[in-house]
Parts: sequence; structure tokens; C-alpha cells
Amino acid sequence: MERSNNGISGTIVLNGNLPPEKVVDLTGKVHQLPCCIKFNGPSDVLHYFKPKSTGVIVDGLSVEEAHFRGRKLQGTTVPIPQGYSGFVLGKKMSDEKRKRSEEDSSCWEMKAKFQNITLWNHDSLPSENDASLRAFHLFSVAAALHRPVSVEDLEAASIDQELEQ
Amino acid sequence: MSSLGQLPIWASKPCIMGIDEAGRGPVLGPMVYGCLYCARSYQKILSTLQFADSKTLKEQKREELFEELKTNKSIGWAVDVIDPRDLSAKMLKKNKVNLNEISHNSAIGLVRKTLDLGVLLTEVYVDTVGDPEKYRVKLSEIFPAIKFVVTKKADSLYPVVSGASIVAKVTRDRALRDWVLDETAENMQRNFGSGYPGDPETKAWLDHHKHTLFGFPTLVRFSWGTCNAYSKDSVEVVWESDASEEDESNGRASKRQMKLTNIGFTGVKTKSEDIESSGKGRCKFFQARKLELLSQF
Repeated sequence: MERSNNGISGTIVLNGNLPPEKVVDLTGKVHQLPCCIKFNGPSDVLHYFKPKSTGVIVDGLSVEEAHFRGRKLQGTTVPIPQGYSGFVLGKKMSDEKRKRSEEDSSCWEMKAKFQNITLWNHDSLPSENDASLRAFHLFSVAAALHRPVSVEDLEAASIDQELEQ
Repeated sequence: MSSLGQLPIWASKPCIMGIDEAGRGPVLGPMVYGCLYCARSYQKILSTLQFADSKTLKEQKREELFEELKTNKSIGWAVDVIDPRDLSAKMLKKNKVNLNEISHNSAIGLVRKTLDLGVLLTEVYVDTVGDPEKYRVKLSEIFPAIKFVVTKKADSLYPVVSGASIVAKVTRDRALRDWVLDETAENMQRNFGSGYPGDPETKAWLDHHKHTLFGFPTLVRFSWGTCNAYSKDSVEVVWESDASEEDESNGRASKRQMKLTNIGFTGVKTKSEDIESSGKGRCKFFQARKLELLSQF
């Protein structure tokens, strides 16, 4: 563990020693709510939280409706783009370590994986301008930034430059 | 739901309408607005039909009268059933809609629907919600051709409103009786009682069906003060919309910060105890998309 003035550097172990078929798949079960529920742990979600499809489509997003604590939620389920995955992380701890301290561990491991997520708004329709959806723009930007540059690209760029001059 | 298939001949003569509500006070189940209308010339016969304020009638009598008026070709009726989910949702919206406004809109909807059918409404009698005069002005502005009589106890003063109160009350009772609970947990029961907060059966049902995380089944009107008494052991939920509300009112900002640190979103307590970083120094692209590079966590 490395300490600095700014905090603690952490590590994330994504595959661990689990074979892929043993990884818990939460696809279709991950919801982002517009509230903070001050509770960690299991609950009867399937019995109480009942999203329904509305048939309405906004910005190409299929709108779902659900209620939580009396509030109406409108949301949409979006796939995580190919090549990416959603992960649920938890503190990695051996039993021995757990006894010693829970707080100090900065070693995280994957507890589950998911390929889509349902993003909920409190009584506003989902839209492509929602911050969570806009965060997905990073994927195409990252792809463009990290795409290997070919000889043709360089030639095209230098021609453009010459034309501008 | 309404009665008319084909428009009867009397509907094109001047008609009167009564509007009344059932289930405004209860903490659970739908609120129902009902209306009843007939030709003004039918008023005398209407007053012989034993319609009385639905609250003074026994349930069985109400059911009988409702069945009778359904077969009466000189009477038209309609109901607007407002789902408890909608009541809660509207009253807990970011821009909250109060119960009076919901009630007004329901009554307005019934008048509009009946007019759209082609019924020539000239007089409408309404039991008041809030200030009678303000309500009357509001209705008259929307429907200038109709004379509105808005008064307390309209349901016992005017037979046409008594009739409407029977339509509303029977519909509400049936809706509650046949209610299909959304929730599928095993311990669900249907002995709701009347739904009034003071009813011991309703109290017992609420007590038995409260849930620390979800609150109640969606049959319950979460926006009712009654619910607070049952939320003592429940998990705290902080809404983004409430947080920003607090943020706006002066002097409460510090309270908000304190609240958010208790949430435990972040695994590590950072120095800035806000839920979001200010984004200072970050590229606009990332700021706008609420993206932050975390190297320490």
C-alpha cells in the first residue's frame, strides 16, 4: 500500500482467479437511481421494484417507468458498448486482513459484471443529454484517440495542412 | 369510464351536472371523481330517486342505487379514477402539485369530456375543494358558457351531486376491493380497511406492510403525512431533487454537505466532502459529462 498526501493509491483486480462462467452476471439488474439510498445489502428488489416499458421512445431511447418511495421514475436501459463492461467492485480481503482492518484496504476486486445499465430520472424523461448518457461519449473519443495512426492518415493530414497554407 | 355509447336526444337540451369525489382523505387507494348529468327538465324526477349524500347511505344501498342509475336512460355518468401512484408521484414531483390542484384538474377533465361527447351542459354543481369562490372563478374562466355552483355539502344539497357522490363512492370501493397489488412479496394481504388513517384495520395493514427500504406497496399514498409515523426504522433516502432544493435556500448548504458525507458513496473520505468534485482544472469535455479520472481510491 502506498500512501501519499492526496490519499491512497488503489489497485483493482478484474479477473482474479475466477473462470469466466463463474463470474456473477448482473446484466439487466443494475439500476442507477436519482437518489442515494443509505443502505448497503440485499433487499426484495424484484418484489417491490417493477419497471414497466411505456412504449414511448425519446431520442431513440426506449422509456421505462417505475416507482420508488412514491416518486415516479422514468428511465432507459442502455447497453455498455462492445469492448467495455460494467463491474461491481468490492474490497478484496483475506480473512486475516478483514480482522485487522476494513477501512485501510485499497485493493479492490470484481464481484460481478454487467453489460447494460438502467438509468433513472426523477420525473423527467430520459434524454441523450442526461449526464450519465453523455459520459458514454468517452468511448468514441477514446477509440479515436487510441486508434493507431496509419501511413495514409499521416499523408492525409499533411495534405490538409498544405492546403490550409 | 363513462356511460354513454350513443348520445341520447335529451343531451342536446340544456343539461345539469353534479361532480363529487370519493377517497380524498384515505392514505391508500385511488381517489375517484364522479359526475352525473341529465336534462334540466329531468331534475324533478331525479329528486325522487332517493339519491342522498353517499356517506349517509349503507354500502349495499349505494351499490343498488348505482346499478339503478346505470340502467336509467335519462342519466349519464362518468368517473375519473386517480391511481395512488399518480397521487404520490404528483405530490412528490420536483415541482409539487397539491391535492387541490389534482382535484380541480380531475373535475375540469370530467366537464371537458362530457362537453366533448356533445352534451349541452349549462349548469354544473360542484362540492368545493379549497375556497369555493376561487374555485368557481377558475371553472367559469375555463368554461364561460356554463354556470357553476360551488358550495360546501353540495352532495347533500343537490340530488345531481348526491348521484355523483354515489357513482364516485361505489367506484372507489370497488377499485379498492379489486385492487391488484403490484408487489409480489409473499406476506401481502388485502385487508386494507377503509383506507382512512384513523381506521384500525388500515393502521394494522400499514404496520404490517411497511418496508424499511421500499416504504410501502404502491397502493399507499406516500405523500400523506400519515406515512411518516411508519418511517421511523426505514432507510434514509436522499433525492437529488431535494438536495438541490436545500442547496438553493440560504444557510442550509452546510447541512447538505454533512448529509452527503454520511451517505458513504465514496469508499475513502476525501478532503472535499462534496459528492461531486468542482471539476476545476478538468477539461470541459469531462466536466460536462461528469467524468473524473481517479487514480486514488
